[in-house]
Amino acid sequence: MPSPFLTPGTRSQPDTLALLHLRRDHALPTILRIHDDENLGYKEGKVTTTRFGSYPHSTLLDQPWGTQIVASKVDTGSRGRKPHLKRKAADLENANSNPSSEGEARARPQPQAAVQASSGFCHLLYPTPETWTASLPHRTQVVYTPDYSYILHRLRVRPGGTIIEAGAGSGSFTHAAARAIFNGYPSAETQTPPAKKRRRFGKVCSFEFHAQRVERVREEIHQHGLDDIVRVNHRDVYADGFLLPSEHGTESPKASAIFLDLPAPWLALKHLTRNPPDGQQSPLDPSSPVYICTFSPCLEQVQRTISVLRQQGWLNIEMVEVNHHRIEARRERYGLESEGIRGATVFPKSVDEAISKMRSVDERARKFREAEAAGLDPAATLEQPSQQQQQSSKSQAQAAQAQLHSQLQSSIPAYSQGRLVHRSEQDLKTHTSYLLFAVLPRDWTEDDEAKCRERWPSHKVDSEVGVQKSKKQMKREAREQREQQRGEQKEG
Amino acid sequence: MHSYIRPYQHVAFRLPSEATRIIHLTPNTEVSLGKYGNFPSNQIIGRPFYLTFEILDNPTEENGNRLRIITAAELHAESLITEGSGEADGEGDEPDVSGDAETPMRTNREIIDDASTQKMTLQEIEELKKGSSDAGRDIIAKLLESHSALDQKTAFSLAKYTLRKRRKYMKRFTVLPLDVSLLTNFMLEEKDAGRTMELRDELIGLIGCWGNVHHGGNVSVGPKPNGRYLVVDETGGLIVAAMAERMGILYPHDNEDEESEEESSGKPAEETSPAKERPSQMSASGNTITLLHAHTQPNLSLLKYFGYDQDNPDESHPLFTHLKTVSWMQLVDPSSDPIYGNEPEIIPDETLATYKPNKRGTYYRKRSRWQRVRNVVDEARTGEYDSLLVATLMEPASVLKHAVPLLAGSAQVVVYSPTIEPLTELIDLYSTPRRTTFINARRELIEATQKQNQENNTDDPVDLSELEQEFIVDPSLLLAPTLETARIRPWQVLPGRTHPMMSKRGGADGYVFHGIRTFPTQAKIEAAGNPSRKKRRVETNPVPLPAEDVEMKS
Repeated sequence: MPSPFLTPGTRSQPDTLALLHLRRDHALPTILRIHDDENLGYKEGKVTTTRFGSYPHSTLLDQPWGTQIVASKVDTGSRGRKPHLKRKAADLENANSNPSSEGEARARPQPQAAVQASSGFCHLLYPTPETWTASLPHRTQVVYTPDYSYILHRLRVRPGGTIIEAGAGSGSFTHAAARAIFNGYPSAETQTPPAKKRRRFGKVCSFEFHAQRVERVREEIHQHGLDDIVRVNHRDVYADGFLLPSEHGTESPKASAIFLDLPAPWLALKHLTRNPPDGQQSPLDPSSPVYICTFSPCLEQVQRTISVLRQQGWLNIEMVEVNHHRIEARRERYGLESEGIRGATVFPKSVDEAISKMRSVDERARKFREAEAAGLDPAATLEQPSQQQQQSSKSQAQAAQAQLHSQLQSSIPAYSQGRLVHRSEQDLKTHTSYLLFAVLPRDWTEDDEAKCRERWPSHKVDSEVGVQKSKKQMKREAREQREQQRGEQKEG
Repeated sequence: MHSYIRPYQHVAFRLPSEATRIIHLTPNTEVSLGKYGNFPSNQIIGRPFYLTFEILDNPTEENGNRLRIITAAELHAESLITEGSGEADGEGDEPDVSGDAETPMRTNREIIDDASTQKMTLQEIEELKKGSSDAGRDIIAKLLESHSALDQKTAFSLAKYTLRKRRKYMKRFTVLPLDVSLLTNFMLEEKDAGRTMELRDELIGLIGCWGNVHHGGNVSVGPKPNGRYLVVDETGGLIVAAMAERMGILYPHDNEDEESEEESSGKPAEETSPAKERPSQMSASGNTITLLHAHTQPNLSLLKYFGYDQDNPDESHPLFTHLKTVSWMQLVDPSSDPIYGNEPEIIPDETLATYKPNKRGTYYRKRSRWQRVRNVVDEARTGEYDSLLVATLMEPASVLKHAVPLLAGSAQVVVYSPTIEPLTELIDLYSTPRRTTFINARRELIEATQKQNQENNTDDPVDLSELEQEFIVDPSLLLAPTLETARIRPWQVLPGRTHPMMSKRGGADGYVFHGIRTFPTQAKIEAAGNPSRKKRRVETNPVPLPAEDVEMKS
């Protein structure tokens, strides 16, 4: 089964994972099915209910990806009462005695057509490792997109490669790694006549020592159509290493990249050498350099790991941390006239505005006091400011100006009023983990060197080609020559 | 993968000064690394990457080998010793708190800050350099010897001093495979960063992930081929290279095991003879990159480092068939393009037979060029791309206006910019109030036209040109527009001296905008959840407030 992560196609297919995108950072993963396996009692078959409406899967299936789906009217209230225990037992019996398709059809009545609801919608998306990472069920700390994107890039994880991942955890890195090494489904290849050149298919070898988590990851990998690409192993890698079980005992995964998300990565390193001391196979690819990354939150862990890496001959040891933040950009409005507008701050937007406001307040207070002193009802006097305003030409001009201002404002639509500003989002992740990188070159023996010297004779240098010079060097030489000439000219 | 150093490839040399030099490796030539020395290229071809070599001045071996491989143990020797002694770690032995220790802690209290501590003069050093042997080690030893205040230095400052001298005088180099990551850092740190829009390595990874760029696979799901990506790249081809790397079409020798390599080299005649079977340029259907470019020719100069020259492409390079280029004019207004619009006349075979061979060749070349442009442009205009990556000097909105409608549903849109302003403007163009206003205005327009059509019994199409003037991009086509940035912070990890690096390159931070292409329904819909909040006195405000999407604001 092709995976929706790698080859989603154009439309949603039954039994594949889809995401119902409700709002940013809030998407619900669901397996699309007409019939409801859990038998939750909806008339419409399988239904996903959300804060923003209910979506029978009949409205989600065979839709182009990315379509906006309108919620449906689904009776969520009465379904709890409906299935009687007795009948349920009978149903089960029925299903057991009749495992044929006919029996299934009877057990599963045709779902009712969905009725559009008056409000609510979602977007139907195919999953990507990024959207999955944002919506996956948490089991352990998650390796987020900014981290894994950099890790995979630095580990040179490319189509056709093999990567070892220890500490599968919540599976976010697993999915991203599967996408990075993907260059075809091995099972699809066997159906077609074998090509002349045997292609190496990329694979992810995932190790996890927590039995329950292993089961969950396996299940997920199967549901996501990635069985071909990801091999999940239940293993304590500190003790038992990274070799894969096979028909002949064990086989080497021949990995060219390693990601260790373990509490004590230094304990696993002894298995990751070119020539393991116990005479076992090496889990590393003998024909390529091997890149490693360990993911540890504490500096002490990093220091111990580095010490062991050095002892085992890893090179280019580098440690970095990734600082990532999301930025929100929106319009901010200030000004006294913006009262009643959502998100706007009612505050004078300039000194002029502040002064004119102060003037009008003073004016009002003065009139209030005058009216009070004259024994009139002050409130009633203030109710008719227009009359009073007409008396003074100055305030008339002010009113005209205010009107002009509001007209100008109204000609600008609301969405482009105010100033566009940006700031970091509220919740910052200031530290995820330290990323420690290193590389182990290929083994290079005296024999290899001798063979190489035979093929590429050390002495042989074509005289006419001469020394390869860099551009910079040639420029410098040209400049020196020019200067020399100039010097000669001066002398002459 | 990069299993060994191949001839006729670009490789990178990391020098003791931490500088990188990129050199095209030709067999049987001499490679020069400036002041660090020369050596014959044959002495590194065929060797594995990441090895560190030392250039020997007096080759002792009989066959004239001038390079010595330095083992990892030797490279780490110093760190391993300090680690072992426990002096550096602070882990090995308890720190002495009593104060009356036998050996008092060395500090820099006594050190006099002037240059007189080095007793050797510049001339002496220069002379030593000329007559030096032993790959610069003796110079460093002499320098240390003649340093008068060496015994005052703390262990760490001594290490720092030695390292500085070593960087200057050691004749060592490390050979690194040239890949996108290395090239990005090289362009940023040592070349003209402006040419690649100051694109940083961590952002290349991030762009690739958000763009969901990956290999297209070997099965077809549905009617459309997998893995077709649209890109606008004004970084000289760096983004294209990064995408190609993720799609497995950047390195010609990728996925070639050593065995298969030997096999094919044994019988090369068979491979080259059926020349006609070679697929023509830009002919691949899946796993392709389509580049939109502003000028007549795209700028892909950086691809030369990966063996692909855009002016004279190598037919065996995967990019030859998988990289397609379309100019903006061909995309938006193909009829005015000189090649697309002018089909060369078809000349019947009989007439053709009378032509001279080179005239016939010209005819076929023109025909196939026209055919190629026609196919590529038509394919681009049909769209259904799997994602869009943009790194452009142009106004991003003008790019998205034309490119977003070419995407399939759920496809990712990623825009990179070295500075934030173009992207905040873009976020604003896709803001919720703007989207709401747009949707309402469009619905009103459509309804008005329908009403008019009914009354007059006509069938006029809806005129949206006025709307498009106000709204450069259709804000309803992108979901969850997000702006983010990532930056790495490197650390020094010497034993007992772990701390963040003291300085790094400033300049542009680099920002990434991403969103998802969607198909909005044409039906009138309301967001669910609690409807509008407490309504304030809005009558005084003539501006329409966003009525929907109140709760589902993204």
